[in-house]
Amino acid sequence: MLEIDLQYDWEQFHAAYEVSISPGMTTLLGASGEGKSTLLHLLGGYLKGRGSVSYLGEDFSKSAPFERPISTLFQSDNLFPQLTVWQNVAIGLEPSMRLTDEQRGKVAWALEQTQLIAKQDQYPQALSGGQAQRVAIARALVRKKPILLLDEPFSALDPMLREEMLNLVNTVTQQFQLTTVLVSHLPAEALQVGGQVMLIAGGRVVAHEEASVLASDLLPETFSRYLGVVND
Amino acid sequence: MPIRFSTLRQGVRLFPALFGVLVFTLVGAASLAALLHHMDLTQWWGYLQDSYLWRIIRFSLWQALLSSVLSLLIAVPVASCLSHREFRGKHLLLQLFAVSMVVPTIVAILGIVVVYGRSGWLTSSFGISVPLYGLLGILLAHVFFNMPLAVRLLIQGYGLIPSAQWRLASQLGFSRGTSFRLIEWPYLKKVLPGAFVLIFMLCFSSFSVVLSLGGGPKSSSLEVAIYQALRFEFDLDKASFLSLLQVAICTLVAILIYKVAPKNQQDVSLLKAQCYFVKDSVVARCFDITAMLLALLLVLPPFLAIFDPIFSSQFLPTLLASATQKAMWVSLSIALPAAALSVLLGGCFGVLARTAMGRGWWGLLPSKIEHLGNIILMVPGLVFATGLFLWLRSLGFGFQSSYWVVVWVNAVMALPFVLRVLMPVLYQQEKRYRNLYSSLGIYGWSRLLIEWPLIRKSVAQAIGYALLLSLGDMGVIALFGSQGLVSLPLYLFQLVGSYRLEEGACVAVILISLCLILFYLATRIIGGKPDVRD
Repeated sequence: MLEIDLQYDWEQFHAAYEVSISPGMTTLLGASGEGKSTLLHLLGGYLKGRGSVSYLGEDFSKSAPFERPISTLFQSDNLFPQLTVWQNVAIGLEPSMRLTDEQRGKVAWALEQTQLIAKQDQYPQALSGGQAQRVAIARALVRKKPILLLDEPFSALDPMLREEMLNLVNTVTQQFQLTTVLVSHLPAEALQVGGQVMLIAGGRVVAHEEASVLASDLLPETFSRYLGVVND
Repeated sequence: MPIRFSTLRQGVRLFPALFGVLVFTLVGAASLAALLHHMDLTQWWGYLQDSYLWRIIRFSLWQALLSSVLSLLIAVPVASCLSHREFRGKHLLLQLFAVSMVVPTIVAILGIVVVYGRSGWLTSSFGISVPLYGLLGILLAHVFFNMPLAVRLLIQGYGLIPSAQWRLASQLGFSRGTSFRLIEWPYLKKVLPGAFVLIFMLCFSSFSVVLSLGGGPKSSSLEVAIYQALRFEFDLDKASFLSLLQVAICTLVAILIYKVAPKNQQDVSLLKAQCYFVKDSVVARCFDITAMLLALLLVLPPFLAIFDPIFSSQFLPTLLASATQKAMWVSLSIALPAAALSVLLGGCFGVLARTAMGRGWWGLLPSKIEHLGNIILMVPGLVFATGLFLWLRSLGFGFQSSYWVVVWVNAVMALPFVLRVLMPVLYQQEKRYRNLYSSLGIYGWSRLLIEWPLIRKSVAQAIGYALLLSLGDMGVIALFGSQGLVSLPLYLFQLVGSYRLEEGACVAVILISLCLILFYLATRIIGGKPDVRD
């Protein structure tokens, strides 16, 4: 269980997030500028906020980003352009990239899971957008952190590819019992990956439901307001 | 034929700018011709076989190599530490570095002599005496000037690193060593060659430092040899030969610079850059502290030494001495017209370049014009001054022309810096408003009047730099400085040479104060009130 009670102030924007997230998929919905990314940056440790955040009862709000039980996939720039695909995954295990045989096996396994074995000696410039994000997922796999944060990492991909990537994330989440938080602005994505859905507005968590409510006739009012344009 | 007519009118409007650039080019060409005219080819073979010449060249290359390698070796860990850590006094340290780059050469030399000299601080407090005069002194001075410059250039390299890479490093728990190897080094590699060549060239053509700290013919540089040939041997032929040799070597290096140097960039502010926290360790901490202490140890003491004499009883008598007053007057009467001339020339270059900008075939011109203005980077001031003096002499002017030679050469030497400040603003104005101006028919002075509020800050900055440069110059004035033409830096050089360090320190303080006051006045009067929002 990921327990969040965080506050953050920036000029006129005052955010206060209070929510518990259970293992499995959770999709974060909300309009632009309402504070979705802020929450993710607070969780990852890239913004300094107030309050507490804990996983399995252990508070990590004071820890540095690399000490947190979290892997984050950003919208872009998840790879070092000066390293090969294999190296980009290997640094997830050992920043010096000097791996034991067992660790090498792990890298090979992660590259296989993400269908990247053939590309392992190439540099990120030679990859497509989807492949690049798969490398980042492979790295998240070897790091074995229990929480996976995804900040609209597939928003630049074609619909087909995006669906494929979401399925991959979903599989990985189920297989390794991760707590995965996906930021999105497409309700359809929440429906596709299932699990929970959370609505963020004005720096607050205004709704937290099963993702299936988005498809049901009894849509809670908060959601219908957010989806207003769609329903009308 | 309305089109023809209007282009003709525009050509007439450009006449003043064209005239300025033409005068600049003619004077330069005439000086070079005068130098060539004075050479005697039959003598050259003899010079080339002179082992002294080869020793000078070897030594110049050797000290330049050592100076630039040392500066960079210290600068790399310092730049890394500065971009990773926040600590009290960081802002102050960056300012100290900035000042050490613009402080007049001779003033810093004085500081170094006070600290490391025969009866200096090092000897009197620790009993260590170092052989300052020779290679060691030259290296100390060159590292003092160029290490901060190297740090600045490297930090520009750090500015190229996307903050996403730091974010990743932070997430993956890189140590400082790993982030250096994987992130910083690939970017530093792009900046290091350019920084090396630049510093190498600055040290290779170093004049004041070698003249004051070289300590004899054993450690001399080409430029000092030119100075000696002119000043003590009156050997114009030898001087012109050495000058051409110097120009040839500098041109070679300058071509290298254009090939590998990083593109000019606006200053990157380290304080604003977003840098995520990277894993710290005791080793990293020790390493950083060592690097910073080393840098501080090299840069700070000479500064303190300069400001020591304010409390000396000699300060007031020195300030009021007639020699000091005279030198102050000479300095002002050189720096003010030189700065004005330099900015005027810069304006001519700028107007011409931007008018040509983006007009088909003419569009090739702006970069050529800029290169023309930068030519002095290839031809050392001393050489140019010699040529100019020879030319004026052939026209019948004797030593009475020295003052104007010094003013003109100082103006030309400041021109590259003036252009660097002025050009971007002028180009920007042109790009944004060219069509508006031409649709409204606004040209010439009326255009300047409209633009003035937008460009005055840059103009002021350009004048400020030009003032600083001519106030601190000791190369050209050393050649012509005689009775009645002794500027503050030259006077200071004479005091340091005769080991009157206390008086020298007072003069140094006066020189620095003069620099600060004039720079402030220039930016305030011409640049207008500081913008509250800045």
